[in-house]
Amino acid sequence: MKSGTFPGGLSLPVSDAGASKPFESVPSSQTVIIPLKQHVGDPCAAGVKKGAEVKMGDLLGESESTAVHATVSGKVTEVIKKFPDMSGGSVPAIGIESDGKNESGGALEGSDPMSLIQKAGVVDSDVEAISLHDKLTLAKEKTVKTLIVNGVDVEPQMISRASILAENAKEVASGIDIIRKILGATTAYIGVSENASNAISAIGSACGSAEVVGLAVKHPQSLKELLVKAILDKEVPTGGSPEEIGVTVISAETAYFVAQAVNDKKPMLERFITVAGSGIGSPKNVLVRIGTPIKDVLGHCGFAPGHGGKVIIGGPLMGTAIHSADMPVTKETTGIYVQKEGEIAEFPSGVCIKCGLCVEVCPMRLMPFLISGFSESGSYAMAEDNDILSCNECGCCAYVCPVLIPMVQWIKLGKSEIRARRSSE
Amino acid sequence: MKAPELVVSAIPHVHGGNSIQKIMMNTLIALIPAVVIGVYFFGMDTIRVIVIAMASAAAWEAILQKMMGRPIAVSNLSGAVSGLILAMLLPPTAPWWMICTGTFVMILLGKEIYGGLGNNPFNGVLIAWVVLQMSYPGYMIDWLAPPGDFMTEATPLEVLKYEGVGSIAEHFTTSGLLIGNTTGFIGEVSALMLLIGGAYLLIRKVVSWRIPVSFLAGVFLFSGLFWLTNSEEYASPLFHLLAGGSIMAAFFLATDMPSSPVTPAGMLIYGFLCGVLTVVIRLWGAWDDGAYYAVFIISILTPLLDKIKSKIYGR
Repeated sequence: MKSGTFPGGLSLPVSDAGASKPFESVPSSQTVIIPLKQHVGDPCAAGVKKGAEVKMGDLLGESESTAVHATVSGKVTEVIKKFPDMSGGSVPAIGIESDGKNESGGALEGSDPMSLIQKAGVVDSDVEAISLHDKLTLAKEKTVKTLIVNGVDVEPQMISRASILAENAKEVASGIDIIRKILGATTAYIGVSENASNAISAIGSACGSAEVVGLAVKHPQSLKELLVKAILDKEVPTGGSPEEIGVTVISAETAYFVAQAVNDKKPMLERFITVAGSGIGSPKNVLVRIGTPIKDVLGHCGFAPGHGGKVIIGGPLMGTAIHSADMPVTKETTGIYVQKEGEIAEFPSGVCIKCGLCVEVCPMRLMPFLISGFSESGSYAMAEDNDILSCNECGCCAYVCPVLIPMVQWIKLGKSEIRARRSSE
Repeated sequence: MKAPELVVSAIPHVHGGNSIQKIMMNTLIALIPAVVIGVYFFGMDTIRVIVIAMASAAAWEAILQKMMGRPIAVSNLSGAVSGLILAMLLPPTAPWWMICTGTFVMILLGKEIYGGLGNNPFNGVLIAWVVLQMSYPGYMIDWLAPPGDFMTEATPLEVLKYEGVGSIAEHFTTSGLLIGNTTGFIGEVSALMLLIGGAYLLIRKVVSWRIPVSFLAGVFLFSGLFWLTNSEEYASPLFHLLAGGSIMAAFFLATDMPSSPVTPAGMLIYGFLCGVLTVVIRLWGAWDDGAYYAVFIISILTPLLDKIKSKIYGR
């Protein structure tokens, strides 16, 4: 088996590393809220009105690149114009009250794989959630010949990708074949953490057409830039996408949903999620309907987020903390990480002692203390000269900092200031 | 609208638990072997110098921070560790007032005057050491001989400087230099104990391997160059590594965080230049040992060396 890695990064002590576990289905909630935008791009136009009766899989809204479906059967209770989203903005959303029957609607129509992927609303979720239809269209434009399937879990403690590869290897393999055919890709790799032995053996025997690559267990190996580096020893140009160098990176669970859409004509109604964190015990894998309130998912895992706790969408290093556990699971939800009150890391910034640990761990080979410091003092031009825009916000620098400087926060501020100035010019 | 009940903050949501205190604690642990051998050879004098240095450094730190209106940061141990390292660079006979003067200079001119730990452009220990060398040259070479039969009370590098390479073998063996059965500063006599401490620092990832390894490589290669051309006149590279402050400086002084570079290439060049300058001073300088002066001088280049950045991903 081929192996690979990248310079820098963090080797974190993680229990259950490389484990695979089956996914428990979370029962459908009384009410679900389904945002009409769960990807980068324009929201889908609402296709239902208040009071409409819907079945599972019925179309709620559609755009040229993707679609959103009802994930329970029941009645549309509200069409919300402005529902909070993860990035602090707002999106339209549809609320449905379940009738508890979970009746399925009709199957998707047509046979063209690309159009089925769009109709099924398949979204490829990583740091950004991108409509797979858009992604494949771009890849075809750029005549991408190399496909990398991302089987590395987004963060330490998360085990959902390794588990999908182990538990649903056949479907993933079929999805990979479909994507390869669409792209006409000549080579395909599946990047898996080298300690995920179940995943490696299952996908290795199920998928003959793609080469499995065992990757060193380091954060943030799951980022597409670093997969390209570890597997192909190439670098994605700064500010560009892997497609520019003839590569596209697609997550393992996305391949599963492609197989479901094209073979079974079923839309994407669920997400495979790992729920981890101190209140959970060992990480749990769950299969959750889109739109299920996060508090119901946590309740199913035996955890109630008390006052002063933290609920994070994603993982401990790169995830986004949410203000309310009423927020729904969407196609963008890669995992859930919880912390109880009193366990939350604080960053009461001290003075930098130039220990160089952040430089040592930075996978983009930046000088984090320097660009963070420039950002803190408002010297954005200096920060830009030192490539602040190349930062992928993986969190390694702040994690190792002995004086607890919230470097990623400063860097994010600097990046947004620089971008704001650019767009106003 | 009901009040949000969850905490929201920027990433990351976890921290590795590293702190200045941990770094300093590991440095203290790394110096224990050298302290133990110092006590073994020089007895209670070693303990006296170390206790005065550490206590006075911590006291000066507290007093100066209070006077300057800064939070008292004695508990991060950085003052105490600086005190211990300075004690390692003093002869066991050092009088108490000289030690206290040294620690005062170290904390004031080496640290607090620039705004505290992290902002100092030079290694505070070396500022203090250089001031003591220039102010009290007699006291700084008031050596104490370890117990046992002894041919000379001069340090290995003094023998090399004043008696020539031929006399080295008369007085010193390689194993003697390793164990530290010579005169010299308290902490620098035993190469072996310093290497054990240095290995601990590398294993605990307190310091990067780049500076110490390139430092010792610089000493070895540059002294080896002359030894190869004329071994009658120049001492062997092994002698240069083991004698004097080479190993002490490579692991415990050149790696001082605020005054050393952070880029990989910068660290390698910095260490190598320190090693080369150490030998240059030993061969042609006025002092018999150049290791500490070399670090002090080369740290002037740190801001420049930090400009040698790695190739950024995707550029």
